[in-house]
Amino acid sequence: MSESASSPERPKQPPIDPRLLEILVCPLTKGPLEYDREKNELISRQAGLAYPIRDGIPIMLVEEARKLD
Amino acid sequence: MQNNVPSPEPQTDFGFRMVPRSAKKTLVRRVFESVAPRYDIMNDLMSLGLHRIWKRILLSALDPRPGRRLLDLAAGTGDVGLGWAAMGGGPVWLTDINAAMLARAKTRAVDRALIGNAHFLVADAEKLPLPDQSFDRVSIAFGLRNCTDKQAVLAEAYRALRSGGRFFCLEFSELQVAAFAPLYEAWSFEVLPLLGKIVAKDAESYRYLAESIRRFPNQKRLAAMMQTAGFRHISVMNLSGGIVALHAGWRV
Repeated sequence: MSESASSPERPKQPPIDPRLLEILVCPLTKGPLEYDREKNELISRQAGLAYPIRDGIPIMLVEEARKLD
Repeated sequence: MQNNVPSPEPQTDFGFRMVPRSAKKTLVRRVFESVAPRYDIMNDLMSLGLHRIWKRILLSALDPRPGRRLLDLAAGTGDVGLGWAAMGGGPVWLTDINAAMLARAKTRAVDRALIGNAHFLVADAEKLPLPDQSFDRVSIAFGLRNCTDKQAVLAEAYRALRSGGRFFCLEFSELQVAAFAPLYEAWSFEVLPLLGKIVAKDAESYRYLAESIRRFPNQKRLAAMMQTAGFRHISVMNLSGGIVALHAGWRV
């Protein structure tokens, strides 16, 4: 557990741009994505992949995505 | 009878070398991670500042307007995408496969107070995480050369464009003025690697850049590839004697 995660004045990750979130699709399936606020990931159920968001920038690369169980 | 011998992995160009298709992305990424910190100053040195003029010509062709949305592929440190925003264009999506380059673009956007209209996205131009027909303009400046499957990139650009939208590709091309050739050769293969060595401490990466320019489809071949991807009313403008060409096409 990191301390900064619970500290409101110093969020661990900058917030993601909501307009970007609206438009994004899975690069593999072109299907919808869900935003997992907790893990700060974009989930593609169809592809079974979770795309990370680093420094507020979504990393929409299949090779960088985490495979969902 | 099927041939039981496994076929060798398809090869692609990496400068003058041939490498497995799957390896190119990593190699190109390594080049750009290596050059990222000094990328802007190197562009100025290598092109004697001409890249700024070439990009300005692209920007005026893009014709930024507040109601238009631009997708800038291989956005790098943001010269085109942020230029669009600075000229009063509508929302712009800057995408690049390299997070280090894009982070620089984002910092520049903050510094220039252009962040409100600019969105950043690490993406592979061959597999865009964007819906069909969602942009009025798609641009790629000095980026297509580094993509493994160029035809796939053109197809994705086409898919992302609205009908009536336009695609622009600014890229090194085939010199059209024979008299410049010896000087251009010497500049590319003697001066550039030397500059790379001195300024960026990386001669190999800059040798790759010079070689990749020579391997890139010339004006006519790129226009044919755009036609295959679906673009119509394709035009080609040679800049600086064909060192660079600006290709444009419509999605009708």
